[in-house]
Amino acid sequence: MNGLKFIHSVKALFGISTPNEEGTKKQTIKELLQKLKLRRITLKQELKDESDLIKREAIHDSIKIIKKQIKKGKEILDE
Amino acid sequence: MKRLLLIVVILLLSYAFFQSTNILHITAGVAIFLFGMRNLEEGFRFFVGGLLDQFLKKITHNLYRSILFGTVITTLMQSSGLAAVIAISFISAGLISVAQGIGIILGGNIGTTTGAWLIAGLGLKINIATYALPMLVFGTLFVFQENKRLKGIGYALVGLGFSFLGIAYMKEGFDAFKETIDLTQYSADGLKGILLFALIGMIVTMISQSSHASLVLILTALSASQITYENAIALTIGANLGTPITAIIGALGASFEGKKLAGAHFLINSLTGFLLIGFVPQFIHFIDLTAPFLGIAENDYTLKLALYHTYFNLICVLLFAPMVHGLVTLLNRVFKPKEVAEKERDDVLFINDVALDFPDTAQAILLKETKHLYNNIFDIIAQGISVTKEDIASGMEVDDILIRRNKAMHVNMDEYYELRIKEIYGKIINFAILAQGKFSDESNRRLIPIKNATLGMVEAFKASKHMQKNMLFYLESDNEYIRQEYNHIRKNLIKHLRNMQLIINTTEEDVAILLLSKLQFDAQKYDIAANKSLDNLIRTNKITYTMATSLMNDTTYAYTIVSELTKVAHTLFIHADTQSSEGREALILNESEITDLTHSTEQRSTS
Repeated sequence: MNGLKFIHSVKALFGISTPNEEGTKKQTIKELLQKLKLRRITLKQELKDESDLIKREAIHDSIKIIKKQIKKGKEILDE
Repeated sequence: MKRLLLIVVILLLSYAFFQSTNILHITAGVAIFLFGMRNLEEGFRFFVGGLLDQFLKKITHNLYRSILFGTVITTLMQSSGLAAVIAISFISAGLISVAQGIGIILGGNIGTTTGAWLIAGLGLKINIATYALPMLVFGTLFVFQENKRLKGIGYALVGLGFSFLGIAYMKEGFDAFKETIDLTQYSADGLKGILLFALIGMIVTMISQSSHASLVLILTALSASQITYENAIALTIGANLGTPITAIIGALGASFEGKKLAGAHFLINSLTGFLLIGFVPQFIHFIDLTAPFLGIAENDYTLKLALYHTYFNLICVLLFAPMVHGLVTLLNRVFKPKEVAEKERDDVLFINDVALDFPDTAQAILLKETKHLYNNIFDIIAQGISVTKEDIASGMEVDDILIRRNKAMHVNMDEYYELRIKEIYGKIINFAILAQGKFSDESNRRLIPIKNATLGMVEAFKASKHMQKNMLFYLESDNEYIRQEYNHIRKNLIKHLRNMQLIINTTEEDVAILLLSKLQFDAQKYDIAANKSLDNLIRTNKITYTMATSLMNDTTYAYTIVSELTKVAHTLFIHADTQSSEGREALILNESEITDLTHSTEQRSTS
């Protein structure tokens, strides 16, 4: 066992090994996308119930932003 | 006072050195030993710096793991005081709770016992100086190496070498003393003797700031039969009573959470010490009963003392481990965060030098202090637009806030800067620069954006200060159009500040990600709208050209405030969790994506 492998084994033993960066990023995005999708549903419901024009516009903007974010996230996951 | 005490100590020691070369040998031994300990600590920091805080985060999830961590760290560093100082630093950074910190302190008490066993079992039975010299030679060789790890090993070896040399000097001093004078004639019996020697032990530890050094001194004196076994036990109790002083000194510059831990350390050691003072004869009997089971000879008093030291610290842990949460409740009542009065100078809450040895801790501390500065800047920017931070945090409609705060609020922004921003800002930048010089490129990559966020915050403050002059003037103007325009700026700034507060305080990641993109979106949209309304006002002569230039400048300042603070909120959110920072960053829309969205919305509304 060379030095690097030994350090990795010790790190793994104590649970401090660094996980794969790309994998962690994709996992985080996946979790965030789920949360964003749920948020979009909530906002759509809020839009239905809201009668104030200015507030409706703000909610509408938020939905548009989330839509773009979900699209961006999916593209990253597909890469 | 401190200087006077130092002069008195120097004079007393000089007199003692002229009177006896043995005293010179013993005190030189203590000095060399302490120097060795300092080097050992330095080496330890070089060697494990980055790993320690990562390790700590994984291992200190519960109290018993924290105790284990404290035991291991103190065994390696041979300094429970330093373990406490490190724990204080980690608490200040929010990496561990006070209860976990107390666990480290308790573990530290167990860790110190290993040193006593090593010295009593080996250090005093062999000629330790013969090992010291090669250690010093090889250690120095390593210290001059470029490689950080080798340097660390070098410092540790030099530290051990000097510690061994110090012990040898102390031993030699006491052995020589034996031939000329018998110190046991000054021994005292009974409770009076125990109290007197416990006091001496405490004073020696307070001066040397190392219970380990005191213990070595006690063990060498005992091995040379210069103190009685009973007095040595009393001195050991005193040494344990004096230990928390290092932690208390370490906590002076720490946050109130750190002060809690120093308070806990003091309580744990002093309560156990005072409790056990009353049971010294019973303990001596108990040690006599149990020592044979461990193979300790009847007349081996140094090993018996090491056993007493172990019992003492085990009792400490057994007494306090079950009541850690009660202790935390008590400490929460005693130590409360200090509220800084408006006219009082504010200072850093979290930054401390110990954190500069640990990259993750340094980053966490930098983030917390930046948030502290952000809160102050948020407060003054709110006042700059004649509202309060409470107005913004309230659920009140923005229009209602403007109706409520329809008069200009005159705030001295320069004075506020001097009192609540300058000191913290300077210390954050200084800390970040020092940290950047110490850590790897990977760690620096995470520190730089936080430092830049601080710079951005001050830019936002400056913009707010420039805007305030006109804001105060035009909010009380007779021209309703210019008043409306300035109220329009206020309205948009209140909305932005409110969203920023949400981002900073929310625990829901998706809300923060949405709002961060929305802040940029609104900033662009608002800029377009403001420019259009300004053109109309100029064309219809509703405002003068002076008003128009002021409004144009202040719109730019408002934009600077918004964009700089958005960057700050972005950085604080992204770097709050190192694990998910890249994933979070990826989903926040960038400038060109926001521009696309803004234009598509604009086209839709104009068509």
